[in-house]
Amino acid sequence: MRRRIAALFMKELRSLFASPIAYVVLTAFVSLSAVYFFQHLISYNQLLFAFQSEGLATTDFDQGTVPLQINTLNELFMPFAGDLHLFLLAVIPLITMRVFAEERATGTDELLLTTPLRTWELALAKHATTYLFVMLLLGVSAIYPAVIISKSQLGMAHLGALYLGQLAYGVAIAAIGLACSSLTRSQVVAAIVAYAVPFILLDFAWLDPVLTESAAGILSGAAIQPHLDNFARGVLEFRHAVYFGGLTVLGFTVSVASLELVRAR
Amino acid sequence: MIFLAAAGLVMLLSGLASYYTTQQISAFAVANLVAGPLALVAAGVVQTRRVSGFSGALSRRVLLRQTALVGVVAAAVVVSNVLASGWTASLDLTADRQYTLADQTLGVCAQIGKLPEARRPSLLFFEDALIAKEVRLRIAGYEAHCPIETRTLREAQAPPEARPILSEFETTVIACLGSRCEAVGYPSEGNITNALLRLTRASTPVVYFMLGHGEVNLSSEADHGFSALAGALRDEGMDVRGILGPAREEVPADADVLIVAAPERDLLPDEIESIDAWLEAGGRMLALLEPETASNLVELLGRWGFDLPPGVVADERVSPLLVDATPLSLLLNQFNGWHPITRKLSHRHMVLLPSARPVFAARKPMPDDRLEALLFTHKTAWLERDPAAARSGHGAGPDPAGPRGVPLPLAAAGRYPREHGEARIVVIGDADFASNRLLHTLYNPDLLLNSVLWLAEDEEQIALRPKGPTPDQDPLTIQQTLAYFYFLAFALPEALLLLGIHAWYRQRG
Repeated sequence: MRRRIAALFMKELRSLFASPIAYVVLTAFVSLSAVYFFQHLISYNQLLFAFQSEGLATTDFDQGTVPLQINTLNELFMPFAGDLHLFLLAVIPLITMRVFAEERATGTDELLLTTPLRTWELALAKHATTYLFVMLLLGVSAIYPAVIISKSQLGMAHLGALYLGQLAYGVAIAAIGLACSSLTRSQVVAAIVAYAVPFILLDFAWLDPVLTESAAGILSGAAIQPHLDNFARGVLEFRHAVYFGGLTVLGFTVSVASLELVRAR
Repeated sequence: MIFLAAAGLVMLLSGLASYYTTQQISAFAVANLVAGPLALVAAGVVQTRRVSGFSGALSRRVLLRQTALVGVVAAAVVVSNVLASGWTASLDLTADRQYTLADQTLGVCAQIGKLPEARRPSLLFFEDALIAKEVRLRIAGYEAHCPIETRTLREAQAPPEARPILSEFETTVIACLGSRCEAVGYPSEGNITNALLRLTRASTPVVYFMLGHGEVNLSSEADHGFSALAGALRDEGMDVRGILGPAREEVPADADVLIVAAPERDLLPDEIESIDAWLEAGGRMLALLEPETASNLVELLGRWGFDLPPGVVADERVSPLLVDATPLSLLLNQFNGWHPITRKLSHRHMVLLPSARPVFAARKPMPDDRLEALLFTHKTAWLERDPAAARSGHGAGPDPAGPRGVPLPLAAAGRYPREHGEARIVVIGDADFASNRLLHTLYNPDLLLNSVLWLAEDEEQIALRPKGPTPDQDPLTIQQTLAYFYFLAFALPEALLLLGIHAWYRQRG
């Protein structure tokens, strides 16, 4: 069984890297994350310089002192995490849209579904390939911030927490994207729905005015944003890992169920 | 049907996008957020009726089984999230351990735990305040470790006793005990803990500063002023008063601690006499002495066993923390691990003294007296006899014939059991370390405030205080940053893109 899954995993991996789209996505993600990290780093240093220099600080703060809220957390890690989060949302559906939908559109899924492979093995191989790609995206994009942070001693562990959060989030939205791809034969529909679901799940604060406090609390627990913030703050919390793990498991289950239904037809 | 679903999705996403960008529920957002989900539900209902391909009994069974599987997994996910939400296990990976409660906070919480329920304070956390998101994790730390009630609420729900504060200040956290409430300024851990401390303190130690001989300026907010010191003492729940001076003949009866900080001129003989008499009667004094201070206070302290040779201590290891560092600015981490004042400070904690004189605990005036040094230099330090020359960079340097390799004490404490009570004295060979510029640097506040707490016999409050986030400067030059940037932001993606072109070329071939 393990060998069958490994063979399918390798096939998926080869097919992913045989197409230029993986490289284009990787290039775009790595470039954008490096440019935005660089921008935040430069503006943080400029802000510090302004506050630390006599006569330059024009706010209510004393000259030569740095206000408490000007720190690496607020000026570097939080905005960078916000950028990564958006970039992941932008690129992951581009990768997931083709995984199942393309096979259904070209009819090769029938070939796969008639093999002795179980549907969950099929789904697992495809999910694992995509998760590996998300890890690669984040791993390569982490090189530049990691070099700067380690040279500057600004908090490597904090950066690690931030990236772990992005990885949990990336894997979860990849699972959602794969679930969407498994439900349709149109790659465009798969991509649109894969963009829409995380966007809708992002935050439910807009419903607060029409909900009771307890209902708002429950919906807040289901939203992505409150679970993502603490990773960027440098704190790993078990409950947030459970949340993203749950989304991933749910996405995987929908993919398996969808393949079973296709097989049953 | 597809059009209906697509239109519903577009409306829903447009409504959400308008909310996320403006953070307001406008009429446009409401219309889209209502119509979008309705259209999606309608499309879903129509689609359900049109489900085809499941006409056989077997395929219907598969449909039911898979729908049930997804339902069960979804329910399990919900249950696991509900269970996990009550588990607050976390790992703080921030460089300054910003979300791990400090020793002082845990101490204050332990003391609150000993109080009856009615005397325990509560924290009001306003979740709709501007920086509420930043503070939520900190409040969760208090919820987990402090036996106090923490209430998360909106400003409109504030209890009557907190409303006057909200009408005056924009605040995120308010600490209350009964009808008495205090606004916490910037909701750092230090400020929240100090507010709890002030509300729960059983007694208020009265601290007097001696004035009138060129001592430190407690009202000056300039770098060399000492307003931060007065503020820090008040934050610890002490009553700070500045009196005495030539006009006073006696130390006030309600004084718990007398602080004499860097007098530039001699005290009057009557003043010396009255301080001496007050100490004999069990008084408590903190003396902060600058290297250049030539005051008869040194003679008074000599009578109580302290030897304060003139001069300034220099060290080959120049502190990297000051822009204008010289061998006179001392970065120290050698503490007396047995004395209550410095017991919690270890070699991992450092204090920064911009220039200091040695303070020797030389002799016991009475056999039962106990004098101990608190803070030491490194072995590489030496004593410069002429402070002015040392400051101008023309110091004599280490005396080759003199003792070297011996740490010099820079602070000492003495306790003197007397007939009318126990006198206590702490002498620190520097005052500038408590100036506005340096008070909140490293563990400077802990050395100073713990000394005052020990003198006031408030030893339960001795602790290491929470430290604010360090505004780290990226030490790389702009050229270094750019070099890494070019390599990792352009060269690496360029290589990836070339690989992509190669893959495309092979695929095409």
